[in-house]
Amino acid sequence: MSIEDRCRSRIRAIRLLRLRRNTQKRSGLCRTMPDCAIVDPVVMSAHSLVAVKSLSLSLSLLRRLSWQRWLRWSLLALVTGVVIALVGQWAEQRELHIRIQALQQAAQSTVLGLGGIAAKHGYLPYAATRHPDVQALLRHPADTLLRDRVNRYLADFQTRTDSAALFVMSVDGLTLAASNWNSAGSFVGQSYRQRPYFMQALQGRHSYFYGVGLTTGTPGFFISEPVRSGDEVIGVMVIKVSLDTLEHSWANSADPVVLQDSRGIVFLSSEPEWRYRSRAPLSADDLAWLAKNWQYGERTGYDLLPWRVLRTTGSPAYELHAVVKGQLRSFLALESVLPELGWTLVVTSDLKGVTQARREALVLAALLAAVLLLAGLYWQLHERRYSEQRQAKLELERRVQERTHDLEQAQAFRKAMEDALLVGMRARDPQGRISYVNRAFCDMVGYRDDELLGCAPPYPYWHPDELDKYRRDREGSMLAEAQPYGFESRIRHRDGHDVITRVYTAPLIDALGQNQGWMSSVVDITAQKQAEDRQHDQELQLQRSARLASVGEMASTLAHELNQPLMALSNFALAARNIASQAQMEVLVSALDDMVEQSQRASEIVQRVRGFINPRRGSYEACDVHAVIAHSLVLLKSELERQAVTVTQRLAEHMPSVRGNRVLLEQVLINLLQNALQAMQDLPAAERVIDIETMLLGRTVQIRVGDAGPGVPEGLLAQVFTPFFSTKPEGLGLGLNICRTLVEAHGGHLTVVNRLGGGAVFTFTLALSV
Amino acid sequence: MSDTALTLYVVDDDEALRRSLLLLLFSQGMAVRGFESGEAFLQAIDARQVGCVILDLRMGGMSGLAVLEQLRLRHSPLVVLFLSGHGTIPMALEAVGQGAFDWVVKPDTQQLLEKLPVALVEAQARADALALWHDLTPREREVARQVGLGQSNKEIARKLVPACSPRSVETHRASLFAKLGLANDNELGRWLTRHTWLG
Repeated sequence: MSIEDRCRSRIRAIRLLRLRRNTQKRSGLCRTMPDCAIVDPVVMSAHSLVAVKSLSLSLSLLRRLSWQRWLRWSLLALVTGVVIALVGQWAEQRELHIRIQALQQAAQSTVLGLGGIAAKHGYLPYAATRHPDVQALLRHPADTLLRDRVNRYLADFQTRTDSAALFVMSVDGLTLAASNWNSAGSFVGQSYRQRPYFMQALQGRHSYFYGVGLTTGTPGFFISEPVRSGDEVIGVMVIKVSLDTLEHSWANSADPVVLQDSRGIVFLSSEPEWRYRSRAPLSADDLAWLAKNWQYGERTGYDLLPWRVLRTTGSPAYELHAVVKGQLRSFLALESVLPELGWTLVVTSDLKGVTQARREALVLAALLAAVLLLAGLYWQLHERRYSEQRQAKLELERRVQERTHDLEQAQAFRKAMEDALLVGMRARDPQGRISYVNRAFCDMVGYRDDELLGCAPPYPYWHPDELDKYRRDREGSMLAEAQPYGFESRIRHRDGHDVITRVYTAPLIDALGQNQGWMSSVVDITAQKQAEDRQHDQELQLQRSARLASVGEMASTLAHELNQPLMALSNFALAARNIASQAQMEVLVSALDDMVEQSQRASEIVQRVRGFINPRRGSYEACDVHAVIAHSLVLLKSELERQAVTVTQRLAEHMPSVRGNRVLLEQVLINLLQNALQAMQDLPAAERVIDIETMLLGRTVQIRVGDAGPGVPEGLLAQVFTPFFSTKPEGLGLGLNICRTLVEAHGGHLTVVNRLGGGAVFTFTLALSV
Repeated sequence: MSDTALTLYVVDDDEALRRSLLLLLFSQGMAVRGFESGEAFLQAIDARQVGCVILDLRMGGMSGLAVLEQLRLRHSPLVVLFLSGHGTIPMALEAVGQGAFDWVVKPDTQQLLEKLPVALVEAQARADALALWHDLTPREREVARQVGLGQSNKEIARKLVPACSPRSVETHRASLFAKLGLANDNELGRWLTRHTWLG
């Protein structure tokens, strides 16, 4: 896992945490520091920082802004109150307006009704006057027959027109005929000359009058019409209409209706107590006129209406407070004037609806204001929370940025450090794919990092001779789970040279404890290894010459040693000849003695060499053949490894010891193994195999050393053991000869055969000890 | 020029071989001294003597080559004849390169007896040359060396200590040519090359 990845995942984790924190904050869980496991100290510190900051900020704000806040709040309350009041006012006005319109309509309809009554009955007297009997009666008032006829006519007229009464008067005010002529309260004979409607009609005018009947005592609406004969007024026809029906219909309405005359006296009212009461105090003249005309009967005084009136300018209506049926009520009143009759109609409407409407509007406005206020508060709260969150977010962003920067720095530092390393670093994932290499490793294998990244085994730098070993090592490393370990490995550089390395591999464990692969540090130990090999070779060389001089050295030493006595012999012989010619007998004898002595010496040297190869029987001992083989392989170990030769052994079980000299037997084996090595030098490493086999055959042990080389040419098989025979340019040709001599000295035989599959097999036998 | 008594030495660590050589050479009428090691030899003799030494190449202690090196350092006029085995012939060749006169392969006594007189003639020549050299004044020897290096009179005059005029160099040159019996610069050069041991 590269460091970038770790970086990114870290940032992701921080973001995730931040998200979670925000949600917690929203849900109100995170006011205090969290109780959950916080893994990131940065986030935690950022949070606490934000919390502390916002707390101190709000405290200082509270202190600094308290009076401003109060001012603002009271202003807001004031404005709200005003607005509510205005809304109430507006609703009231609107309701009033509606009411007034309704009143106007009601008044109009009432006025129309009244006008209708007047219009309906207005022409009746005139129609009645047109009857010739009426005219005749007025000319002849004493004609009883006529009078009787007119009476019947008027009665019939009255019945048909649904009026209260119809009567006709002479110019001096005496009633000549009436519709109620045969009832108890008959107008006939009565004089109504003082009545205004009579006087006005006498003057030739059509006249209206409301008043209480003089005869009947019941109020009624009098319409009078002059009866003309030509231009002369000869009488007056009057019709009386009762307004009781109208008044009764008013009494049924909820709100009072009042009709007043031109003097302000109420004569029709839905409220009976208000009848014949005056709006304003009446003047003396008016009172006198009323008394004289007997308009409202015998009453002489008129009480004031128990009304309290509040007028508002600019409005046709006014407020009216009055006690109705024992209850103080408020009304909206509207007056309409009926000009032809001189009356004024007052219609009212209960003000309760208006106040109700205002109250409702006020309540509604207050509710609305409350809702708005709450919404505002909520919005403010939301804003504050949002700004807090944004603050925290910004802080976190900054932290993350800082952190990222730090990580980048660390990354750059690490990169520089890794590049500066001389040790090669390589990381692999669990599938064995290379996920990381540093520069030193690239230099070591000669491949660029982009060529190596993602590579799966076999890697390009694996040595072709060691593929099996890599697999084993790799399996070993996979099995070695959590334990770091090291092994030696030979790899091949891109340019073909071998690099010997020591590889230490340790598992990569991630934060969850999972194994994500392996990290290997690779140390180039080629130079060290070569030095070790050289040292080892030298040691081996020393060991070998100490144990047994090599064949060439032995020959050289032998030659040198033999040369000495030989030359001495030659010298002595020549000297002896010289001396003999000089006849110096004593010196001659001495020289001849020396010659014998030198001959003896030469003989001893030869003897010694023989004795060396064929030691005395006393130096033989019981030898473990397998130990001899093992030790020989140890001595040749580095040689075998360098040439990558595989040695297979098939050793007999329970091998008894043989009789022999261990050092000499080792020499024989080393010689045979070296021959085998040299025979396989040109083969590929994978084919270089030496097999060693031991067998027990009766009283002898057979030891075989086989190689996979080309074998011995058939024609030369007989000669390989001959002294000074060699197929090698630098060979002395004594090795196999000495081996055979040594084996024979042990009482055994050394033979060679070629295998069918190729290669030579050397076999020698040894006798068991005892 | 008269025959100087030339000394003959045998250096060999093999007692029998040494004794046999001494007896052989003695029987031929030569004065021979034997040494059992190179160290003993170098300690006992005067390196400035003229003579011939038969050296064994392969000895315990100082090797023949080491002895030769010591003699060369001491500007010895001794003529060196090596005894070499078959295996040490490359060594013998190297020794000749370093100033040895010749070598004899063991155990060929006949060859030794053939080469020894030639070596003795060389030793005599060296004895004569040494005698002539000793006749020169130190100044003349110095001039001779410089002439041998191919320097002009003027340069020699400047290099000499104490310095002198080219004319006096010319005088020395004439004198030394007369003493050594040489005719010109070339002959002197050859003579000096032949006797590098003069130092």
